[in-house]
Amino acid sequence: MKLFLKEHIFLIVVQIIQLTTVVGIVWLAGFRQVEIILYSLFLGGFFLVCYLIYYYIRRRNFYKRLSVPVRTLDETLQEQDDVAIGKALNQLLKAQYNLFQEQFIVMGKKQEEHLIFMDRWIHQMKTPLSVIELMAKDLDEPDASSFREETDRLKAGLNMVLYMGRLRTIEQDFHIKKVDLLKLIQEVNQDNKRLYIRNNLYPEVNEKQTNIMVESDEKWLFFMVSQLVQNAVKYSTGKSNKIQFVLDEQDGNVVLEVRDFGVGIPKEDVRRIFDAFYTGENGRQYRESTGMGLFLVKEVAEYLGHKIEVTSTVGEGSTFCIIFN
Amino acid sequence: MQKILIVEDDEKLATHLAKEVKKYGYDVLIGTDFSNLMNEFNIYQPHLVLLDINLPSYDGFYWCRQIRQVSTCPVIFISARTGEMDQVMALENGGDDFITKPFSPEIVMAKVRSQLRRAYGEYAAQQQERIVEQKGLQLFPERLELSFNNKTISVTKNEADIIEILLERFPRVAGREDLLEKLWDDQTFVDENTLNVNITRVRKKFLEVGIADAVETIRGVGYRLHVTW
Repeated sequence: MKLFLKEHIFLIVVQIIQLTTVVGIVWLAGFRQVEIILYSLFLGGFFLVCYLIYYYIRRRNFYKRLSVPVRTLDETLQEQDDVAIGKALNQLLKAQYNLFQEQFIVMGKKQEEHLIFMDRWIHQMKTPLSVIELMAKDLDEPDASSFREETDRLKAGLNMVLYMGRLRTIEQDFHIKKVDLLKLIQEVNQDNKRLYIRNNLYPEVNEKQTNIMVESDEKWLFFMVSQLVQNAVKYSTGKSNKIQFVLDEQDGNVVLEVRDFGVGIPKEDVRRIFDAFYTGENGRQYRESTGMGLFLVKEVAEYLGHKIEVTSTVGEGSTFCIIFN
Repeated sequence: MQKILIVEDDEKLATHLAKEVKKYGYDVLIGTDFSNLMNEFNIYQPHLVLLDINLPSYDGFYWCRQIRQVSTCPVIFISARTGEMDQVMALENGGDDFITKPFSPEIVMAKVRSQLRRAYGEYAAQQQERIVEQKGLQLFPERLELSFNNKTISVTKNEADIIEILLERFPRVAGREDLLEKLWDDQTFVDENTLNVNITRVRKKFLEVGIADAVETIRGVGYRLHVTW
Protein backbone atom coordinates (compact mmCIF):
# COMPACT_ATOMS: atom_id res chain seq x y z
CA MET A 1 0.00 0.00 0.00
CA LYS A 2 2.78 2.36 0.96
CA LEU A 3 4.64 1.65 -2.21
CA PHE A 4 1.44 2.11 -4.23
CA LEU A 5 0.75 5.50 -2.67
CA LYS A 6 4.34 6.58 -3.08
CA GLU A 7 4.20 5.71 -6.72
CA HIS A 8 0.91 7.56 -7.31
CA ILE A 9 1.45 10.66 -5.21
CA PHE A 10 2.67 12.56 -8.24
CA LEU A 11 -0.45 11.59 -10.21
CA ILE A 12 -2.63 12.82 -7.35
CA VAL A 13 -0.75 16.10 -7.13
CA VAL A 14 -1.03 16.63 -10.90
CA GLN A 15 -4.75 15.89 -10.72
CA ILE A 16 -5.22 18.47 -7.97
CA ILE A 17 -3.26 21.09 -9.90
CA GLN A 18 -5.28 20.29 -13.03
CA LEU A 19 -8.63 20.60 -11.24
CA THR A 20 -7.70 23.86 -9.49
CA THR A 21 -6.42 25.30 -12.78
CA VAL A 22 -9.66 24.42 -14.58
CA VAL A 23 -11.78 25.81 -11.73
CA GLY A 24 -9.61 28.93 -11.56
CA ILE A 25 -10.02 29.62 -15.28
CA VAL A 26 -13.76 29.11 -15.08
CA TRP A 27 -13.93 31.34 -11.98
CA LEU A 28 -11.90 34.10 -13.60
CA ALA A 29 -14.08 33.90 -16.72
CA GLY A 30 -16.96 35.06 -14.54
CA PHE A 31 -18.76 31.86 -13.78
CA ARG A 32 -19.99 32.11 -10.19
CA GLN A 33 -22.28 29.08 -9.58
CA VAL A 34 -20.50 27.56 -6.61
CA GLU A 35 -22.56 24.33 -6.44
CA ILE A 36 -21.75 23.36 -10.01
CA ILE A 37 -18.07 24.10 -9.53
CA LEU A 38 -18.01 22.00 -6.34
CA TYR A 39 -19.94 19.23 -8.08
CA SER A 40 -17.49 19.07 -10.94
CA LEU A 41 -14.63 19.09 -8.44
CA PHE A 42 -16.28 16.21 -6.62
CA LEU A 43 -16.76 14.28 -9.86
CA GLY A 44 -13.13 14.81 -10.82
CA GLY A 45 -12.00 13.60 -7.41
CA PHE A 46 -14.41 10.65 -7.53
CA PHE A 47 -13.07 9.36 -10.84
CA LEU A 48 -9.52 9.71 -9.60
CA VAL A 49 -10.28 7.70 -6.47
CA CYS A 50 -12.19 5.07 -8.49
CA TYR A 51 -9.28 4.75 -10.84
CA LEU A 52 -6.81 4.37 -7.98
CA ILE A 53 -8.89 1.76 -6.18
CA TYR A 54 -9.44 -0.28 -9.31
CA TYR A 55 -5.78 -0.04 -10.20
CA TYR A 56 -4.69 -1.05 -6.73
CA ILE A 57 -7.00 -4.05 -6.52
CA ARG A 58 -5.83 -5.42 -9.85
CA ARG A 59 -2.20 -5.09 -8.85
CA ARG A 60 -2.42 -5.81 -5.16
CA ASN A 61 -0.22 -8.92 -5.26
CA PHE A 62 2.19 -7.24 -7.56
CA TYR A 63 2.77 -4.45 -5.08
CA LYS A 64 2.94 -6.84 -2.18
CA ARG A 65 5.54 -8.85 -4.00
CA LEU A 66 7.61 -5.76 -4.68
CA SER A 67 7.63 -4.62 -1.08
CA VAL A 68 8.14 -7.97 0.76
CA PRO A 69 11.72 -9.32 0.58
CA VAL A 70 12.21 -12.81 -0.85
CA ARG A 71 13.25 -15.39 1.73
CA THR A 72 13.58 -18.54 -0.34
CA LEU A 73 14.34 -19.08 -3.98
CA ASP A 74 11.04 -20.88 -4.53
CA GLU A 75 9.12 -17.80 -3.38
CA THR A 76 10.16 -16.05 -6.57
CA LEU A 77 7.95 -18.47 -8.50
CA GLN A 78 4.60 -17.43 -6.95
CA GLU A 79 1.80 -16.68 -9.37
CA GLN A 80 1.25 -13.04 -10.25
CA ASP A 81 -1.81 -10.85 -10.92
CA ASP A 82 -3.18 -11.14 -14.39
CA VAL A 83 -1.93 -7.76 -15.57
CA ALA A 84 0.75 -6.97 -18.10
CA ILE A 85 3.26 -5.61 -15.62
CA GLY A 86 2.72 -8.52 -13.23
CA LYS A 87 3.33 -11.01 -16.00
CA ALA A 88 6.44 -9.16 -17.06
CA LEU A 89 7.78 -9.28 -13.49
CA ASN A 90 6.95 -12.96 -13.34
CA GLN A 91 8.87 -13.66 -16.48
CA LEU A 92 11.84 -11.72 -15.24
CA LEU A 93 11.87 -13.59 -11.94
CA LYS A 94 11.49 -16.91 -13.67
CA ALA A 95 14.38 -16.17 -15.98
CA GLN A 96 16.49 -15.12 -13.02
CA TYR A 97 15.48 -18.22 -11.10
CA ASN A 98 16.48 -20.45 -13.97
CA LEU A 99 19.77 -18.68 -14.38
CA PHE A 100 20.53 -19.09 -10.71
CA GLN A 101 19.51 -22.70 -10.74
CA GLU A 102 21.78 -23.38 -13.68
CA GLN A 103 24.71 -21.76 -11.95
CA PHE A 104 23.93 -23.63 -8.76
CA ILE A 105 24.02 -26.91 -10.62
CA VAL A 106 27.30 -26.00 -12.28
CA MET A 107 28.85 -24.96 -8.96
CA GLY A 108 27.47 -28.01 -7.19
CA LYS A 109 28.96 -30.25 -9.85
CA LYS A 110 32.28 -28.51 -9.57
CA GLN A 111 32.32 -28.94 -5.83
CA GLU A 112 31.30 -32.55 -6.11
CA GLU A 113 34.10 -33.13 -8.62
CA HIS A 114 36.51 -31.39 -6.32
CA LEU A 115 35.51 -33.58 -3.40
CA ILE A 116 35.82 -36.77 -5.43
CA PHE A 117 39.17 -35.58 -6.71
CA MET A 118 40.41 -34.89 -3.17
CA ASP A 119 39.22 -38.28 -2.01
CA ARG A 120 40.93 -40.10 -4.88
CA TRP A 121 44.06 -38.04 -4.49
CA ILE A 122 44.37 -38.76 -0.79
CA HIS A 123 43.99 -42.46 -1.43
CA GLN A 124 46.54 -42.30 -4.20
CA MET A 125 49.04 -40.58 -1.95
CA LYS A 126 48.87 -43.48 0.45
CA THR A 127 50.74 -45.82 -1.90
CA PRO A 128 53.85 -43.65 -2.23
CA LEU A 129 53.64 -43.06 1.52
CA SER A 130 53.72 -46.81 2.12
CA VAL A 131 56.70 -47.14 -0.20
CA ILE A 132 58.61 -44.37 1.59
CA GLU A 133 57.87 -45.97 4.94
CA LEU A 134 59.14 -49.34 3.79
CA MET A 135 62.25 -47.80 2.22
CA ALA A 136 62.97 -45.78 5.35
CA LYS A 137 63.22 -49.01 7.32
CA ASP A 138 66.40 -49.80 5.42
CA LEU A 139 68.08 -46.56 6.48
CA ASP A 140 70.32 -46.28 9.51
CA GLU A 141 69.30 -44.39 12.62
CA PRO A 142 68.61 -41.61 13.35
CA ASP A 143 67.48 -41.08 9.74
CA ALA A 144 65.01 -43.97 9.85
CA SER A 145 63.16 -42.48 12.83
CA SER A 146 63.35 -39.04 11.33
CA PHE A 147 61.77 -40.28 8.10
CA ARG A 148 59.12 -42.03 10.12
CA GLU A 149 58.30 -38.81 11.94
CA GLU A 150 57.76 -37.00 8.67
CA THR A 151 55.68 -39.77 7.12
CA ASP A 152 53.58 -39.82 10.28
CA ARG A 153 52.97 -36.10 9.89
CA LEU A 154 51.98 -36.62 6.27
CA LYS A 155 49.65 -39.40 7.33
CA ALA A 156 48.01 -37.27 10.01
CA GLY A 157 47.58 -34.44 7.53
CA LEU A 158 46.05 -36.66 4.86
CA ASN A 159 43.75 -38.18 7.41
CA MET A 160 42.49 -34.79 8.50
CA VAL A 161 41.73 -33.76 4.92
CA LEU A 162 39.98 -37.07 4.34
CA TYR A 163 37.74 -36.55 7.34
CA MET A 164 37.13 -32.93 6.40
CA GLY A 165 35.82 -34.08 3.02
CA ARG A 166 33.68 -36.70 4.68
CA LEU A 167 32.21 -34.18 7.08
CA ARG A 168 30.12 -32.76 4.25
CA THR A 169 28.39 -36.07 3.83
CA ILE A 170 28.41 -37.07 7.48
CA GLU A 171 24.64 -37.53 7.47
CA GLN A 172 25.04 -40.62 5.29
CA ASP A 173 28.22 -41.69 6.95
CA PHE A 174 27.52 -42.33 10.57
CA HIS A 175 26.04 -45.24 12.46
CA ILE A 176 25.20 -44.68 16.10
CA LYS A 177 25.75 -47.76 18.18
CA LYS A 178 27.10 -48.75 21.58
CA VAL A 179 30.81 -48.02 21.84
CA ASP A 180 33.11 -49.32 24.56
CA LEU A 181 34.86 -46.11 25.58
CA LEU A 182 37.85 -47.72 27.30
CA LYS A 183 38.54 -49.91 24.30
CA LEU A 184 38.31 -46.93 21.99
CA ILE A 185 40.81 -44.97 24.07
CA GLN A 186 43.21 -47.90 24.04
CA GLU A 187 42.89 -48.12 20.28
CA VAL A 188 43.61 -44.41 19.89
CA ASN A 189 46.65 -44.78 22.14
CA GLN A 190 47.87 -47.74 20.12
CA ASP A 191 47.45 -45.72 16.98
CA ASN A 192 49.47 -42.85 18.42
CA LYS A 193 52.10 -45.01 20.09
CA ARG A 194 54.90 -43.63 18.02
CA LEU A 195 53.82 -40.05 18.67
CA TYR A 196 53.90 -40.61 22.44
CA ILE A 197 57.28 -42.30 22.34
CA ARG A 198 58.77 -39.61 20.16
CA ASN A 199 57.64 -36.91 22.56
CA ASN A 200 58.39 -38.81 25.76
CA LEU A 201 54.79 -38.83 26.87
CA TYR A 202 52.82 -41.58 28.55
CA PRO A 203 49.08 -41.93 28.38
CA GLU A 204 47.39 -42.70 31.66
CA VAL A 205 43.83 -43.99 31.75
CA ASN A 206 41.83 -43.29 34.88
CA GLU A 207 38.60 -45.25 34.91
CA LYS A 208 36.32 -43.92 37.64
CA GLN A 209 33.63 -46.33 36.55
CA THR A 210 34.18 -49.53 34.69
CA ASN A 211 32.45 -50.78 31.58
CA ILE A 212 31.36 -47.42 30.29
CA MET A 213 29.43 -47.67 27.06
CA VAL A 214 28.32 -44.66 25.04
CA GLU A 215 25.98 -44.19 22.10
CA SER A 216 28.15 -42.83 19.34
CA ASP A 217 29.76 -43.48 16.00
CA GLU A 218 32.98 -45.37 16.52
CA LYS A 219 34.87 -44.03 13.54
CA TRP A 220 34.06 -40.38 14.14
CA LEU A 221 34.62 -40.65 17.89
CA PHE A 222 37.99 -42.22 17.18
CA PHE A 223 38.78 -39.27 14.96
CA MET A 224 37.73 -36.77 17.65
CA VAL A 225 39.79 -38.38 20.41
CA SER A 226 42.77 -38.71 18.06
CA GLN A 227 42.63 -35.00 17.31
CA LEU A 228 42.49 -34.16 21.01
CA VAL A 229 45.42 -36.48 21.67
CA GLN A 230 47.49 -34.97 18.89
CA ASN A 231 46.86 -31.50 20.27
CA ALA A 232 47.59 -32.57 23.82
CA VAL A 233 50.89 -34.10 22.73
CA LYS A 234 51.86 -31.12 20.64
CA TYR A 235 51.37 -28.66 23.48
CA SER A 236 52.93 -30.69 26.27
CA THR A 237 56.15 -31.90 24.65
CA GLY A 238 59.06 -31.09 26.92
CA LYS A 239 56.79 -29.72 29.63
CA SER A 240 55.37 -32.86 31.14
CA ASN A 241 55.44 -36.56 30.53
CA LYS A 242 51.86 -37.65 30.73
CA ILE A 243 48.47 -37.29 29.12
CA GLN A 244 45.54 -38.24 31.28
CA PHE A 245 42.27 -39.81 30.20
CA VAL A 246 39.49 -39.72 32.77
CA LEU A 247 36.29 -41.69 32.24
CA ASP A 248 33.48 -40.72 34.53
CA GLU A 249 29.75 -40.42 34.85
CA GLN A 250 28.27 -37.12 36.07
CA ASP A 251 24.51 -36.52 36.44
CA GLY A 252 23.79 -39.52 34.26
CA ASN A 253 26.07 -38.25 31.50
CA VAL A 254 29.26 -40.00 30.55
CA VAL A 255 32.21 -37.63 30.46
CA LEU A 256 35.53 -38.31 28.80
CA GLU A 257 38.33 -35.96 29.83
CA VAL A 258 41.54 -35.64 27.88
CA ARG A 259 43.93 -33.72 30.12
CA ASP A 260 47.40 -32.48 29.37
CA PHE A 261 49.89 -30.68 31.58
CA GLY A 262 51.37 -28.55 28.86
CA VAL A 263 51.45 -24.89 28.00
CA GLY A 264 47.73 -24.21 28.36
CA ILE A 265 45.62 -21.83 26.30
CA PRO A 266 45.60 -18.05 26.90
CA LYS A 267 42.25 -16.81 28.22
CA GLU A 268 41.51 -14.61 25.24
CA ASP A 269 41.96 -17.61 22.90
CA VAL A 270 39.82 -20.16 24.74
CA ARG A 271 36.53 -18.90 23.32
CA ARG A 272 37.74 -19.06 19.76
CA ILE A 273 39.78 -22.26 19.57
CA PHE A 274 36.88 -24.10 17.97
CA ASP A 275 36.60 -21.54 15.15
CA ALA A 276 37.81 -22.61 11.72
CA PHE A 277 41.35 -21.53 10.87
CA TYR A 278 41.82 -19.96 14.29
CA THR A 279 45.26 -20.81 15.60
CA GLY A 280 45.69 -18.41 18.50
CA GLU A 281 48.86 -17.57 20.36
CA ASN A 282 49.96 -21.19 20.77
CA GLY A 283 49.31 -21.98 17.14
CA ARG A 284 51.62 -19.20 16.09
CA GLN A 285 54.40 -20.44 18.33
CA TYR A 286 54.19 -24.10 17.42
CA ARG A 287 54.62 -25.41 13.94
CA GLU A 288 51.98 -27.04 11.80
CA SER A 289 48.87 -25.55 13.30
CA THR A 290 46.13 -25.52 10.72
CA GLY A 291 43.39 -24.26 12.97
CA MET A 292 41.24 -27.05 11.57
CA GLY A 293 41.59 -29.84 14.12
CA LEU A 294 39.45 -28.47 16.92
CA PHE A 295 37.00 -26.97 14.45
CA LEU A 296 36.42 -30.42 13.00
CA VAL A 297 36.12 -31.91 16.47
CA LYS A 298 33.41 -29.40 17.33
CA GLU A 299 31.53 -29.99 14.08
CA VAL A 300 31.60 -33.75 14.50
CA ALA A 301 30.53 -33.44 18.14
CA GLU A 302 27.51 -31.42 17.03
CA TYR A 303 26.49 -34.06 14.50
CA LEU A 304 26.88 -36.85 17.01
CA GLY A 305 25.01 -34.92 19.68
CA HIS A 306 27.95 -34.73 22.09
CA LYS A 307 28.99 -31.64 23.96
CA ILE A 308 32.55 -30.47 24.04
CA GLU A 309 34.00 -28.26 26.75
CA VAL A 310 37.40 -26.90 27.53
CA THR A 311 39.09 -25.50 30.61
CA SER A 312 42.64 -24.31 30.59
CA THR A 313 45.22 -22.47 32.65
CA VAL A 314 48.29 -21.00 31.04
CA GLY A 315 51.36 -22.88 32.19
CA GLU A 316 49.42 -25.70 33.77
CA GLY A 317 47.63 -27.41 30.94
CA SER A 318 44.27 -27.91 29.30
CA THR A 319 41.38 -30.29 29.76
CA PHE A 320 39.01 -31.16 26.97
CA CYS A 321 35.76 -32.91 27.92
CA ILE A 322 33.49 -34.81 25.61
CA ILE A 323 30.11 -35.09 27.26
CA PHE A 324 27.81 -37.85 26.01
CA ASN A 325 24.11 -37.73 26.71
CA MET B 1 57.75 -73.56 1.78
CA GLN B 2 54.48 -71.72 1.71
CA LYS B 3 53.86 -69.57 -1.32
CA ILE B 4 52.40 -66.08 -1.35
CA LEU B 5 51.17 -64.21 -4.41
CA ILE B 6 51.32 -60.42 -4.24
CA VAL B 7 49.03 -58.51 -6.60
CA GLU B 8 49.81 -54.80 -6.44
CA ASP B 9 50.21 -52.50 -9.42
CA ASP B 10 52.68 -50.18 -7.73
CA GLU B 11 55.93 -51.95 -8.55
CA LYS B 12 58.00 -50.44 -5.76
CA LEU B 13 55.45 -51.21 -3.11
CA ALA B 14 55.14 -54.76 -4.41
CA THR B 15 58.92 -55.28 -4.31
CA HIS B 16 59.25 -53.92 -0.79
CA LEU B 17 56.35 -55.96 0.42
CA ALA B 18 57.85 -59.05 -1.21
CA LYS B 19 61.15 -58.36 0.55
CA GLU B 20 59.39 -58.15 3.93
CA VAL B 21 57.45 -61.34 3.31
CA LYS B 22 60.56 -63.20 2.16
CA LYS B 23 62.30 -62.29 5.44
CA TYR B 24 59.78 -64.51 7.18
CA GLY B 25 60.70 -67.43 5.02
CA TYR B 26 57.91 -67.50 2.48
CA ASP B 27 58.22 -67.93 -1.24
CA VAL B 28 56.85 -64.90 -3.07
CA LEU B 29 55.61 -64.18 -6.56
CA ILE B 30 54.58 -60.71 -7.70
CA GLY B 31 51.71 -60.80 -10.14
CA THR B 32 52.44 -58.90 -13.33
CA ASP B 33 49.76 -59.70 -15.89
CA PHE B 34 46.81 -57.68 -14.62
CA SER B 35 44.57 -58.63 -17.51
CA ASN B 36 44.96 -62.34 -16.86
CA LEU B 37 45.99 -62.98 -13.28
CA MET B 38 44.36 -66.39 -13.15
CA ASN B 39 47.04 -67.72 -15.45
CA GLU B 40 49.75 -66.83 -12.94
CA PHE B 41 47.60 -68.01 -10.07
CA ASN B 42 47.03 -71.43 -11.60
CA ILE B 43 50.69 -71.98 -12.43
CA TYR B 44 52.01 -70.73 -9.06
CA GLN B 45 49.29 -72.25 -6.85
CA PRO B 46 49.89 -69.90 -3.89
CA HIS B 47 48.86 -70.64 -0.31
CA LEU B 48 47.79 -67.04 0.21
CA VAL B 49 47.13 -63.97 -1.92
CA LEU B 50 47.75 -60.32 -1.00
CA LEU B 51 45.44 -58.39 -3.29
CA ASP B 52 45.19 -54.68 -4.03
CA ILE B 53 41.72 -53.36 -4.90
CA ASN B 54 42.59 -50.63 -7.40
CA LEU B 55 44.16 -52.43 -10.32
CA PRO B 56 44.35 -51.78 -14.06
CA SER B 57 41.77 -53.63 -16.23
CA TYR B 58 39.79 -55.37 -13.47
CA ASP B 59 39.59 -54.52 -9.79
CA GLY B 60 40.62 -56.70 -6.87
CA PHE B 61 37.03 -57.75 -6.13
CA TYR B 62 36.77 -59.26 -9.59
CA TRP B 63 39.99 -61.24 -9.19
CA CYS B 64 38.92 -62.42 -5.75
CA ARG B 65 35.72 -63.85 -7.25
CA GLN B 66 37.77 -65.54 -9.98
CA ILE B 67 40.12 -67.05 -7.42
CA ARG B 68 37.18 -68.29 -5.37
CA GLN B 69 35.98 -70.34 -8.35
CA VAL B 70 39.11 -72.47 -8.27
CA SER B 71 40.55 -72.15 -4.76
CA THR B 72 39.74 -71.51 -1.12
CA CYS B 73 43.15 -70.13 -0.23
CA PRO B 74 43.14 -67.08 2.06
CA VAL B 75 42.91 -63.72 0.28
CA ILE B 76 43.95 -60.56 2.14
CA PHE B 77 42.99 -57.27 0.56
CA ILE B 78 45.41 -54.37 0.75
CA SER B 79 43.88 -51.06 -0.13
CA ALA B 80 44.06 -47.33 0.45
CA ARG B 81 40.29 -47.26 0.75
CA THR B 82 39.19 -47.05 4.34
CA GLY B 83 35.42 -46.86 3.94
CA GLU B 84 33.29 -49.44 5.70
CA MET B 85 31.60 -50.17 2.39
CA ASP B 86 34.89 -51.21 0.77
CA GLN B 87 35.68 -53.55 3.65
CA VAL B 88 32.23 -55.07 3.42
CA MET B 89 32.64 -55.47 -0.35
CA ALA B 90 36.01 -57.12 0.17
CA LEU B 91 34.57 -59.70 2.53
CA GLU B 92 31.44 -60.20 0.41
CA ASN B 93 33.57 -60.93 -2.62
CA GLY B 94 35.36 -63.73 -0.84
CA GLY B 95 38.21 -61.92 0.93
CA ASP B 96 39.37 -63.12 4.34
CA ASP B 97 40.89 -59.95 5.73
CA PHE B 98 41.51 -56.32 4.98
CA ILE B 99 44.60 -54.14 5.48
CA THR B 100 44.56 -50.41 4.83
CA LYS B 101 47.42 -48.43 3.37
CA PRO B 102 49.73 -47.13 4.66
CA PHE B 103 50.38 -50.30 6.60
CA SER B 104 53.15 -51.44 8.87
CA PRO B 105 54.92 -54.59 7.69
CA GLU B 106 54.42 -56.13 11.13
CA ILE B 107 50.65 -55.98 10.75
CA VAL B 108 50.80 -57.48 7.27
CA MET B 109 52.95 -60.32 8.51
CA ALA B 110 50.81 -60.92 11.58
CA LYS B 111 47.71 -61.18 9.41
CA VAL B 112 49.43 -63.36 6.83
CA ARG B 113 50.58 -65.78 9.49
CA SER B 114 47.23 -65.89 11.24
CA GLN B 115 45.42 -66.56 7.96
CA LEU B 116 47.87 -69.30 7.01
CA ARG B 117 47.53 -70.88 10.43
CA ARG B 118 43.77 -70.84 10.18
CA ALA B 119 43.75 -72.28 6.67
CA TYR B 120 46.48 -74.90 6.93
CA GLY B 121 46.74 -75.58 10.66
CA GLU B 122 49.37 -75.07 13.35
CA TYR B 123 51.44 -77.95 12.09
CA ALA B 124 52.11 -76.46 8.70
CA ALA B 125 53.10 -73.17 10.29
CA GLN B 126 55.39 -74.88 12.75
CA GLN B 127 57.23 -76.82 10.13
CA GLN B 128 59.05 -73.71 9.17
CA GLU B 129 59.68 -72.01 12.43
CA ARG B 130 61.00 -68.53 12.07
CA ILE B 131 64.65 -68.09 12.83
CA VAL B 132 66.34 -64.73 13.02
CA GLU B 133 70.02 -65.24 12.50
CA GLN B 134 73.20 -63.24 12.29
CA LYS B 135 76.60 -64.88 11.92
CA GLY B 136 75.71 -67.99 13.86
CA LEU B 137 73.72 -66.26 16.59
CA GLN B 138 70.19 -67.59 16.30
CA LEU B 139 66.97 -66.38 17.83
CA PHE B 140 63.76 -68.45 17.79
CA PRO B 141 61.11 -65.80 18.46
CA GLU B 142 58.25 -68.31 18.72
CA ARG B 143 60.03 -70.59 21.19
CA LEU B 144 61.69 -67.65 23.01
CA GLU B 145 65.12 -69.22 22.73
CA LEU B 146 68.55 -67.89 21.90
CA SER B 147 71.21 -70.17 20.52
CA PHE B 148 74.92 -69.76 19.86
CA ASN B 149 77.74 -72.30 19.55
CA ASN B 150 75.43 -75.20 20.40
CA LYS B 151 74.39 -73.44 23.58
CA THR B 152 70.70 -72.67 23.90
CA ILE B 153 69.13 -70.52 26.60
CA SER B 154 65.63 -69.23 27.07
CA VAL B 155 64.80 -65.53 26.98
CA THR B 156 61.75 -63.48 28.01
CA LYS B 157 59.33 -61.98 25.52
CA ASN B 158 60.80 -58.49 25.98
CA GLU B 159 64.35 -59.75 25.55
CA ALA B 160 63.36 -61.69 22.46
CA ASP B 161 61.73 -58.60 20.98
CA ILE B 162 64.86 -56.53 21.58
CA ILE B 163 67.23 -59.20 20.28
CA GLU B 164 65.04 -59.67 17.21
CA ILE B 165 65.20 -55.99 16.34
CA LEU B 166 68.96 -55.84 17.00
CA LEU B 167 69.54 -58.82 14.71
CA GLU B 168 67.23 -57.59 12.01
CA ARG B 169 68.68 -54.11 12.01
CA PHE B 170 72.28 -55.36 11.91
CA PRO B 171 74.61 -53.72 10.91
CA ARG B 172 72.49 -50.63 11.34
CA VAL B 173 71.41 -49.01 14.59
CA ALA B 174 68.21 -50.25 16.18
CA GLY B 175 66.31 -47.04 16.96
CA ARG B 176 65.05 -46.43 20.48
CA GLU B 177 61.67 -45.50 19.06
CA ASP B 178 61.43 -48.85 17.28
CA LEU B 179 62.48 -50.69 20.43
CA LEU B 180 60.04 -48.83 22.66
CA GLU B 181 57.25 -49.28 20.14
CA LYS B 182 57.83 -53.00 20.14
CA LEU B 183 57.86 -53.18 23.94
CA TRP B 184 54.67 -51.15 24.40
CA ASP B 185 51.53 -53.17 24.49
CA ASP B 186 47.92 -52.35 25.18
CA GLN B 187 48.18 -51.60 28.85
CA THR B 188 51.79 -51.17 29.81
CA PHE B 189 53.64 -48.23 28.45
CA VAL B 190 57.34 -48.61 28.78
CA ASP B 191 59.67 -45.73 29.48
CA GLU B 192 63.32 -45.19 28.73
CA ASN B 193 64.41 -46.73 32.05
CA THR B 194 62.59 -49.97 31.40
CA LEU B 195 64.27 -50.14 28.03
CA ASN B 196 67.66 -49.64 29.67
CA VAL B 197 66.92 -52.39 32.17
CA ASN B 198 65.89 -54.74 29.38
CA ILE B 199 69.00 -53.94 27.38
CA THR B 200 71.11 -54.79 30.43
CA ARG B 201 69.31 -58.11 30.64
CA VAL B 202 69.94 -58.75 26.97
CA ARG B 203 73.64 -58.08 27.47
CA LYS B 204 73.64 -60.61 30.31
CA LYS B 205 71.90 -63.17 28.11
CA PHE B 206 74.53 -62.60 25.45
CA LEU B 207 77.24 -63.18 28.06
CA GLU B 208 75.54 -66.44 29.04
CA VAL B 209 76.02 -67.77 25.53
CA GLY B 210 79.54 -66.40 25.45
CA ILE B 211 79.20 -63.09 23.63
CA ALA B 212 80.61 -59.97 25.25
CA ASP B 213 80.37 -56.28 24.34
CA ALA B 214 78.11 -56.90 21.38
CA VAL B 215 75.53 -54.22 22.15
CA GLU B 216 76.72 -50.65 21.82
CA THR B 217 74.68 -47.78 23.22
CA ILE B 218 74.29 -44.81 20.92
CA ARG B 219 73.02 -42.01 23.08
CA GLY B 220 69.66 -40.58 22.15
CA VAL B 221 69.45 -42.75 19.06
CA GLY B 222 69.41 -46.42 19.98
CA TYR B 223 71.59 -49.49 20.14
CA ARG B 224 73.86 -51.19 17.67
CA LEU B 225 74.88 -54.81 17.46
CA HIS B 226 78.54 -55.59 16.79
CA VAL B 227 79.83 -58.97 15.76
CA THR B 228 82.43 -59.49 18.46
CA TRP B 229 82.39 -63.24 18.22
